[in-house]
Amino acid sequence: MASRQLRFVLNGRPVQGEVDPTRSLLDVLRTDFALKGPKYGCGKGQCGACSVLVGGQVARACVLRAGRVAGQEVTTLEGLAPDGRLHPVQQAFIDRQGAQCGYCLNGMVISAVALLRQDPAPDRARVEAALRDNLCRCGTHREIVASVLLASGAQADD
Amino acid sequence: MTEGGMISVYEDRPEGRMTHVQIDGRGQVTAFNGHVDLGTGIQTALAQIVAEELGCTLEAVTVVLGDTGRTPNQGPTIASETIQVAAVPLRKAAAQLGQFLAGEGARRLNAPLAEVETREGRALWQQTEVAFGDLVAGHNLAMRLDPDMPVKDPAGYRIVGRPVGRVDLPAKVTGQFDYIQDIRVPGMVHGHVIRPPYAGRDSGPFIGTSLLGWDEAAIATRPGFLAVVREGDFLAVVAETAHQARTLAEALPVHWRQPPPGPDLSDLRHALKAAPSMPRVLERSGDVEAALAGADHRAARSYVWPYHLHGSIGPSCAVADWNGGAPVVWSGTQNPHMLQGDLAQLVGLEPDRIEVRRHQAAGCYGRNCADDVAGDALLLARALGRPVRVQLTRAQEHLWEPRGAAQLMEVSGGLKAGHLHAYTLDTWYPSNRGPNLALLLTGRISPEPRSADMGDRTAIPPYRIAHKRITVHDMAPLVRAAWMRGVSALPNTFAHESFVDEMAAEAGEDPVAFRLKHLDDPRTRDLVIKTAEEAGWQARSGPRLRREGRMAYGQGFAFATYVHGTFPGTAAASSAWVCDVAVDTRTGEITLTRVFVGQDQGLVINPDGVRQQIHGNVIQTASRTLLEEVTVDAITPAPQSWGSYPIQSFDTLPEIRSMLIARPGDPALGVGESAAVPAAAAIANAIFDATGVRLREAPFTPERMRAGLAELGGAPPLPAPDAGQKPRRRRWAAWAGGIAGALTLGAVALPMARALPPQAAPSAASFAAPLLERGRQVFATGDCAVCHTAQDGSPNAGGRPMKTPFGTVFTTNLTPDPETGLGNWSFAAFDRAMRRGISRDGHNLYPAFPYTAFAKMDGEDMYALYAYLQTLAPVRAAVPRARMVAPLNLRPVNAAWNLLYLDRAPLVDDPARSQAWNRGRYLVEGAGHCSACHSPRSALGAEKGGAAALSGAEVDGWWAPALAGTAPALRGWDEDRLFAYLGTGHAPGLASAAGPMAPVVAGLATLPEADRRAMAVYLASLAAPDVAPAAVPTLAEVTPGPGARLFRGACASCHEPGLAGALTAAQVPLARSAAIRAPTRATLRSLLREGITAPLELPLRDMPAFGEELSDHQIDQIADFLRARYAPDLKPFPDS
Repeated sequence: MASRQLRFVLNGRPVQGEVDPTRSLLDVLRTDFALKGPKYGCGKGQCGACSVLVGGQVARACVLRAGRVAGQEVTTLEGLAPDGRLHPVQQAFIDRQGAQCGYCLNGMVISAVALLRQDPAPDRARVEAALRDNLCRCGTHREIVASVLLASGAQADD
Repeated sequence: MTEGGMISVYEDRPEGRMTHVQIDGRGQVTAFNGHVDLGTGIQTALAQIVAEELGCTLEAVTVVLGDTGRTPNQGPTIASETIQVAAVPLRKAAAQLGQFLAGEGARRLNAPLAEVETREGRALWQQTEVAFGDLVAGHNLAMRLDPDMPVKDPAGYRIVGRPVGRVDLPAKVTGQFDYIQDIRVPGMVHGHVIRPPYAGRDSGPFIGTSLLGWDEAAIATRPGFLAVVREGDFLAVVAETAHQARTLAEALPVHWRQPPPGPDLSDLRHALKAAPSMPRVLERSGDVEAALAGADHRAARSYVWPYHLHGSIGPSCAVADWNGGAPVVWSGTQNPHMLQGDLAQLVGLEPDRIEVRRHQAAGCYGRNCADDVAGDALLLARALGRPVRVQLTRAQEHLWEPRGAAQLMEVSGGLKAGHLHAYTLDTWYPSNRGPNLALLLTGRISPEPRSADMGDRTAIPPYRIAHKRITVHDMAPLVRAAWMRGVSALPNTFAHESFVDEMAAEAGEDPVAFRLKHLDDPRTRDLVIKTAEEAGWQARSGPRLRREGRMAYGQGFAFATYVHGTFPGTAAASSAWVCDVAVDTRTGEITLTRVFVGQDQGLVINPDGVRQQIHGNVIQTASRTLLEEVTVDAITPAPQSWGSYPIQSFDTLPEIRSMLIARPGDPALGVGESAAVPAAAAIANAIFDATGVRLREAPFTPERMRAGLAELGGAPPLPAPDAGQKPRRRRWAAWAGGIAGALTLGAVALPMARALPPQAAPSAASFAAPLLERGRQVFATGDCAVCHTAQDGSPNAGGRPMKTPFGTVFTTNLTPDPETGLGNWSFAAFDRAMRRGISRDGHNLYPAFPYTAFAKMDGEDMYALYAYLQTLAPVRAAVPRARMVAPLNLRPVNAAWNLLYLDRAPLVDDPARSQAWNRGRYLVEGAGHCSACHSPRSALGAEKGGAAALSGAEVDGWWAPALAGTAPALRGWDEDRLFAYLGTGHAPGLASAAGPMAPVVAGLATLPEADRRAMAVYLASLAAPDVAPAAVPTLAEVTPGPGARLFRGACASCHEPGLAGALTAAQVPLARSAAIRAPTRATLRSLLREGITAPLELPLRDMPAFGEELSDHQIDQIADFLRARYAPDLKPFPDS
């Protein structure tokens, strides 16, 4: 499709560009805006590696066409730490070592941020349910859950 | 030489002089190792080792891994041997550098060397100290590695053995880290590979010889196109951007010779035994045959392990720069030096002309497509003379990665006097090291079957058995296969440790005690005893069969010492499992609830890292054992997404506890795989304890569990939804013939309509603006553009095929092109066509064109529409001829049809109804022609009237739900919800527009609000009065099976998300789905195949298309699962 002027707010800054609105938001963020946080994993919304926040809602950028974020606020992993100060969820993932290869990390952190906005003190079962659509192949699940629980202020027990 | 000073330790190796470690004048240390970090954290562990031996801080150390230009060739990063093997020279080099710096420090501080201490990057003596950087500044010195260099006594370790965080994590958690997928090179363009149809196969004469041709002209003028590159069966499109490359590659017409059928892998046991293999006896002791014959009890068992995907979360990627014949390749490879050799062979250069720069990729756990894509990128970079990046798609990675190999193990053994007396293992392992795909596709290497010798890992059981024979049957891959975590050791241990458990039960002994009876090695005994104690092992003399209601509970044990490398191999860490399972005896679902792992890995470098590896091994291998298998059938050669290859998710995690046995005085052993090795046997043994069922074929699916329970006479399983497997019958073909016959009789004597002369339409400028706006609204009400625009065609230029039971009609060109469109149509001709279905030249139009509705339009609207159409941009586009079944291909037959069904009477306002209602009826029944889709049609293709009008119909694979009668009332439609839906496509909680309805709403959304309100008023009046909305059905419990699994993997992330509020999740609960409640599977099939691409101007959501990756049978399995779970009040879909 022909390119159109697309304007949205990316990590707190208004941006615009000539973009084919049918391209995926993931492709636009990685290609046109050179971001590295959102990752290509499956292209079908199945793994969560591409997750971003749009207007505060978690979204799978691989199945979201760029035209749908016109006028919206998009926040990526990069945007969680605007001044180099880590978001509490990011800090918790370091403290609890919530990654092995770390390729899925983007989706885990973004989903955790969205979860904690809905429920600032989730229990373990809630965290596990909230992350169940994010795939991790390294088997880092327990460290990831511990990271989210730490970020929520709960005492993680492992 | 570096300004400011540099002291290094090197080694002269076959590939040249390689530096192991160096320190500069600022005290910064760089270490080089030929292995790579696969996500297991060896970068951090190596930094710990260097910092420890050198006496500097961890922060001062940078570790360079795998770059061929800078690191020694230490072979592939496999078999968990980085710490155990590859780190050895680095450790000595760091110690040597540390010793040198201590000596320099002693000189500088005027201190006796024996009293100088080095730590935290300083040499210290009494109250004086000097920083390493100051010792280095001004000196340039390279020392040869002393292979006899003593290393530190572990008792004095300060950094090794302490928990340390991953050095790469801060960059990763903020999106600053450069994975291979993030590498961007100036001037870079993008390649998209097009793989042959023989997905995942690597031997046979068709490999490299199946490409017949392609039509470059079809894409050559499209934006971004740079080149099509072909060599043998290697084919790729290169374009300016990745999106363009993929779009163009998907649009390129390519002709392949179809490959012969692949091997039948539906019965793995048979397939593995039937294929050619070469037996290799690994160990023979005593007289096995005689011992078996003389045993008190003997048994023969076989165990089957399936094909698995490595399943990296990030599909492989590479960048290559030809660089004037000295190529640089950026890669996520597991084996940079091996890749360097492959690439050299691919492009005919000496290996040392090619530099491989290694970057981290998503975890790979073995050989995935990382090396293949590097070959792709290099071929393209050479062809283009520019840097080229290639990113594989998820489907390409899934289809082509060398799979973790299937394996067959046959064991026979016998007991004598309560001891394991005789034991044989035969193991078939169809795999090699995964030759680079580009070498195969281009024909650089011949596609003959090649075997490798990796089936012998941990093939020797750890037990003292007097008579044994162990044989590995080396064989070439049946489908592309290579090593994967626990390579061959995991399946071999599945066999050993299941069988020994069976023998213990047979002997009536506790499984742990029985094992200990046959173990001599004190370190192994220690591990088994301590693990059983710490884990709370409950001794038993047979399966305990603990039951609570329908749930059965059990505990299992297994252990192994992972032996890797060329036989007889080297031992890595030993791991023992005690695990608990819960088995739902009705559904067959197995839940791993708790795993305790005891592990002996000698010296622990980083306890956090070791525990994390244990957790990763437990979770990943539990996933492989319980869920995963690559299914190969005639339709889908392999899974193409996570939909058909589900893996472990967060909501079914076991509790994991681990115990690291402290042995700081023993050498560090690899921990990357060991805890995986006992997994399958431990879980199988726990299932046996719970149920008495022995599962000997993985994965342990609910189907296999139910079958095992049924054999024992367990509880009857729940009825399972079953996809119809019969071929689709096309009943209407016969049906249409009969109708056509009836019509022909009447048609013969009818007069034909006359042609109206061509007459140039008035110029667009001659129409007044209000008239054109009215015309635009009529055009939007009728959604003319939807049907009159072909897929990827120019708007309104027609050519869209309309499938009817009587054949295929193509829509006409509405633009004012004089020859192919309406440019030479007078208003009179247009009006006649719209109202009577007669074209300007006098022939009858097929009633797929809803002129029966348009006949109700008033004259002003008709003229406004005519005027509006004349202002469209003219497009020259001839429309294909209709393809109708005989004799409906005779247009006069349609004249007879008109006589029967065309009601030309205009609508008369009903004075008893409101103005809005009358306006709504006019829009719905006239220009809106809602009945064209929502009314069922008679055998003759006419819309049914009366009670059947707007009672719902299936059109071209889509169910258009009922708009009249009790059905809409039961679903809860009312005026407000209809109004919301007509303006946005979405009635919250009730419905979202999909399929052909979404663009219809996009048109309606541009109408004046009053018109949409009027339509809502009228449509609401069609619903039966006094019918309360029905309750949304409660979800049914459905027996786990293929449909449920496909749904979980492919659909659940959006349709039953664990985290609410996602912008990309479905808007309407599935229990509300009209498609699931439709009379047939057709709409679900259409939805699943085509997905939803909703107009961007509406607040709707999209759904990916699954037609490329799921077979028709899988789509029907999902459809039947959806019906059973979300519409349990309805009957299953009829077979079709």
